[in-house]
Amino acid sequence: MSDPQEPMPVQDDAAAAHLPEAEEQAAPGPTLSRRRFLEGVGAAAAILAAGTIPAMISAVPAPASAQGEQPAGRTTGDEGLDRIIAEDQPINYPGKPVYYADPAGKQKWAMVIDVKACIGCRKCAYACVKENNIGRNSGFTYIQVLEMEQGAIDIEGAKLDYAEGGKPDKWYLPVQCMQCAKPTCVYGCPVKATWKEPDGIVVIDYEKCIACRNCMVTCPYFARHFNWVEPEVPKNERNPKVPVEDKAGVVEKCTFCIQRTRNGRTTACTEACPVGARKFGDLNDPDSEVSVLLKTRRVFRLKEEDGTEPMIWYVG
Amino acid sequence: MDVPVPATTPRPGVKRFIGVDFDLGALLKSSPRYWAFVSLLLTVLAMGGLAYVAQLQHGGAVMAMRDNYPWGLWFTNYMYYVGLSAGGLVVYASVHLFGAEQFKPLSRLAVLQAALLVMMALLGIVTDMERPWRAVWMLLTPNPTSPFVYTGSAANIYMIICFFDLWVLITGKGGHKLAHRMTLIALPFAIYLHTTTAFVLSMNKSRELWNSAMMVPIFLTSATASGIALLLLCAYVMKHFKILELTASMFRSLSTLLATVIIMDLFMLVVEIATVFWPTSAKPGHVVRFAEFITGRYAFTLVPVLILGVTAFALLAPRRTRHLPAIQIIASALYVVAIWLKRYTLMSMGFAINPLGQFTPPYVPSAVEVFLALGILSLGLLVLTVAAKVLPLRVPEEPHGESLHSIHVTEVDAPDDVSAGALAEMG
Repeated sequence: MSDPQEPMPVQDDAAAAHLPEAEEQAAPGPTLSRRRFLEGVGAAAAILAAGTIPAMISAVPAPASAQGEQPAGRTTGDEGLDRIIAEDQPINYPGKPVYYADPAGKQKWAMVIDVKACIGCRKCAYACVKENNIGRNSGFTYIQVLEMEQGAIDIEGAKLDYAEGGKPDKWYLPVQCMQCAKPTCVYGCPVKATWKEPDGIVVIDYEKCIACRNCMVTCPYFARHFNWVEPEVPKNERNPKVPVEDKAGVVEKCTFCIQRTRNGRTTACTEACPVGARKFGDLNDPDSEVSVLLKTRRVFRLKEEDGTEPMIWYVG
Repeated sequence: MDVPVPATTPRPGVKRFIGVDFDLGALLKSSPRYWAFVSLLLTVLAMGGLAYVAQLQHGGAVMAMRDNYPWGLWFTNYMYYVGLSAGGLVVYASVHLFGAEQFKPLSRLAVLQAALLVMMALLGIVTDMERPWRAVWMLLTPNPTSPFVYTGSAANIYMIICFFDLWVLITGKGGHKLAHRMTLIALPFAIYLHTTTAFVLSMNKSRELWNSAMMVPIFLTSATASGIALLLLCAYVMKHFKILELTASMFRSLSTLLATVIIMDLFMLVVEIATVFWPTSAKPGHVVRFAEFITGRYAFTLVPVLILGVTAFALLAPRRTRHLPAIQIIASALYVVAIWLKRYTLMSMGFAINPLGQFTPPYVPSAVEVFLALGILSLGLLVLTVAAKVLPLRVPEEPHGESLHSIHVTEVDAPDDVSAGALAEMG
């Protein structure tokens, strides 16, 4: 069947058996031979595969030593923390400042939440809505508190819309943007409208967001929210530091209160928590509460198996 | 009625533009029914335009999409149309790559269908963005880790390839050689487009329901099967109005191809379901979500997919009845509907349980969403309806298309265009 000078590979013979007409017609006209077709397909596949290489590379973790300098005065006991800090690098960072906040400093922000202390009162969520000018008509909050049965982290069986917290037979898990070191939202944004700042905060450029909502789909924590309506905030309740109008028709989310924390204050939710369950601080400072907690306590992260390296830890 | 005009007499009303003969005269001689159908499409198109204006003015408030359903009907249709366009291209490519000469009369229609569907898909995406003008950032600062960038660019390039390919086929420029080369570009690109479209869903570790490598082959087979089915329906309509001359053996071959792809598609769906529920591979998050589709509150969308799919295959499988037009049309229509339902299930209902485990009631599109989707659909149908009259879709008997004037249009009287629309609307 095939050209005697060019013996065909075995699998081609098998394929040829099914399509004898093609081979017969290959001779007279300018019809493409199967060999050339396969070569063409192979070449096209190689080109297309090469196109996806940048996507692959960014998913491979770089060695910790190659990323960032180690802060002075660290002991070998800090190795776990160092790895976390080294992983928390800027991604897609355009270098331009967030216009309503100070530029990023040397800190690596992190939060530890004590789920044993949390009573599910949602004071953090209320404070957050006020601080961050979340539209009162928008229908979402940055912080969502899951109410779960004792004995398991059963996300599928969790309740978000419980009426009142503090039930002794339940436990409460506050969830918000985890400022992941490997944020799927940042990887997924087609236009680099969201990025990771040098201090670890994931921010969104409201001027650039094309409203494709891919970040909401890729986020494992349901932390991103879209302004389907124009956010309405009463004039006297507005936080002058945070934009409102810009947020219409774009995605927004928790920023670790970037407008407060970069000016030396703590987040609104940390401040509002009546039981002190939230600790917010700088991992680069070995004496900060979060550093001490991470070094001394048994902690866990939500959906750690997803490998997004969230920067909020839970301790119970 | 069916007498071709000789090559030597230039027909009145034929305008030559970029090497293509546009038979505008045929429009003037069209029946009132044709114009009634066209005005119906124009009306729906205008309503779609109004819906788009409402969307631009009021933003997301007029849509049924919410945080729990960040993507809805429009993105479903993107996936669906992108898929449908593949089938036509596979049929066209098989003419050139595998010497399936029996499909040759379909080649222009197949490429036109592919091009139009990708155009509709892209329109759906543009209207889905609240600020479409910001899409320019996709060109200025594309993010290589986002599957969106790949599917968006691929769809745009693919649309250009399809329209150029149609032009090459109609004008005969570059002869067979260029037509073959275009196939070599277009077919891998169609596969690339559908792969990247599937990536938009499958590359999300946050969504257990989609995060499966099987998503890509399922997309490819669903796309091919539904596209072939739609082409078969389209071809019957074109045959009915004597726009194309198609033989029963061609339809039989097409049905055989369709049955083959359908069974591959069903097989992959069954494999995926088995992987989800098999005790040694079942993962709680995945099982909880998929169970909603088998026995749960969303069973009304996925179970029909299985029933329609199996019925379509059962209709086409027996060799003795496969040649019957009624069997072919019913099976194709069933599968075209089944794949839309499958996309809708996968896409809209895929959000049913959010990453924090919260169940949301079924997504039902709002009036604005429905009218905009219908508007885009009628735009596609409108172009196809006009092209059926104006464009030389009939493939010439002579291989090199030298005598263009002799081939393209016969005196066509369209007696029943409304049924054409009804058939096409199933797509």
